[in-house]
Amino acid sequence: MGRIWLLALRDLRLEVRDRAGLLSILAFFAVMLFIMALALGPEEEPLRRAAPGVLWVALAFGSTLLSTRAFALEVEEGTLDDLLLTPGGKEWIYLGKLLFQMLLLLPLAALALLMVAGLFYLPLERLLPLFLTLALGVLGYASVATFYAGLLARLRGREVLLPLLLFSLVVPVVLASVRATTGLAEGLPLAEVSAWWQLLLVFDVVYLTASALLFPVVMEG
Amino acid sequence: MLKAAQPDRPDALTWVFLGLGLLLLPVGLYLALSAPPDVNQGYLARIMYLHVPGAWLGYLAFFVTFLYSLLYLFRQNPRYDRVALASAEIGLVFMGLALVTGMLWARPTWGVYWTWEPRLTTTAILFAVYVGYFLLRGAIEDPELRAKAAAAVGILGFINVPISYMSVKWWRSLHQTQSIDLTTGKIHMDPAMLQALLFNLFVFTLLYLGFVRFRALLAALEARKEEA
Repeated sequence: MGRIWLLALRDLRLEVRDRAGLLSILAFFAVMLFIMALALGPEEEPLRRAAPGVLWVALAFGSTLLSTRAFALEVEEGTLDDLLLTPGGKEWIYLGKLLFQMLLLLPLAALALLMVAGLFYLPLERLLPLFLTLALGVLGYASVATFYAGLLARLRGREVLLPLLLFSLVVPVVLASVRATTGLAEGLPLAEVSAWWQLLLVFDVVYLTASALLFPVVMEG
Repeated sequence: MLKAAQPDRPDALTWVFLGLGLLLLPVGLYLALSAPPDVNQGYLARIMYLHVPGAWLGYLAFFVTFLYSLLYLFRQNPRYDRVALASAEIGLVFMGLALVTGMLWARPTWGVYWTWEPRLTTTAILFAVYVGYFLLRGAIEDPELRAKAAAAVGILGFINVPISYMSVKWWRSLHQTQSIDLTTGKIHMDPAMLQALLFNLFVFTLLYLGFVRFRALLAALEARKEEA
């Protein structure tokens, strides 16, 4: 557990110190939301209806961008092999990188939520359930994204392959998160929304365990 | 000895599967065309005898890929990787068949070729996962890394199969639910239609087994050529 925090905090410090990466992702979010708002027209009703979908698509793109950053520095500096050479199991590398992703993605997701609320008239009355949806959905994205980013880290065409492999796999997460967000925006009772949360939780657990178990096997050698 | 370990022509079992499958295909077609018409859909329902086995074998093939991907990761035997590859490829063909026949069936019954309905969408995504599987394979030069990365996709991608299978139950919508429900063991179908369907399924399974063995052999020959 100590190692996981150490790795995550080290990456976080490097990322925050760099600033350029974080700022470019924020700018990317903003531009994407503007384009979508422009494409969907000025009327309030279609925008409001599209809001949950837009939020989760934006987050999916954002998480792919971020996940490449998780291993980019390691590959650039040639430190990935050093990490893999440390004695003991290799799961902690995956978990540390995942934690780093979550620490970056959660505030970004909260910001994206505010931006979507502002631009797409998404009602924010039930903020806590919305945050819960965000946390569960983002974890689903990040667990697969981090795994694939590690797997493809040393490949040349990874910028194209990563989203391709990732998007088709996280579709269940997108679906459940969008449904939950829509339910919250439309004011459905929490009991109905919680079915989607359960589904999200199941996906998170499945993806997380499968990735953590596969990671050491795939990265060795 | 070497020749026995790495055969350069299909073995007898492969020929049996392929031959029997091809021989029985016309019989399956005859059964499908002579089966009684459906109460609601009339003769239209006969496309089912192609559509359902296609989808089932697609699922089965991806399951085999999942199994052999796991085996490969734990045993590191290239043979397992080749079977996983072969099964994914044949599965993609069967899944494509299911998608196309489904579209042909949807046009007269639902009025459209394609609609964004959960079963259709999850199946299309499943198809995309395995297209990604082959794009990934194509992108990696190193055989060992290629096999490992492909195995990871083969395992993680399989998560979408049960979702696709269960989608008609989870979101009750346009697509009809399973006629033969594997989760409860209930069968909602006329016995004569069931017979024809099961026979076609049997024929398709024979063909699948033959194709996979044949494709895995081709992959072995390719690998040997790559090494030499």
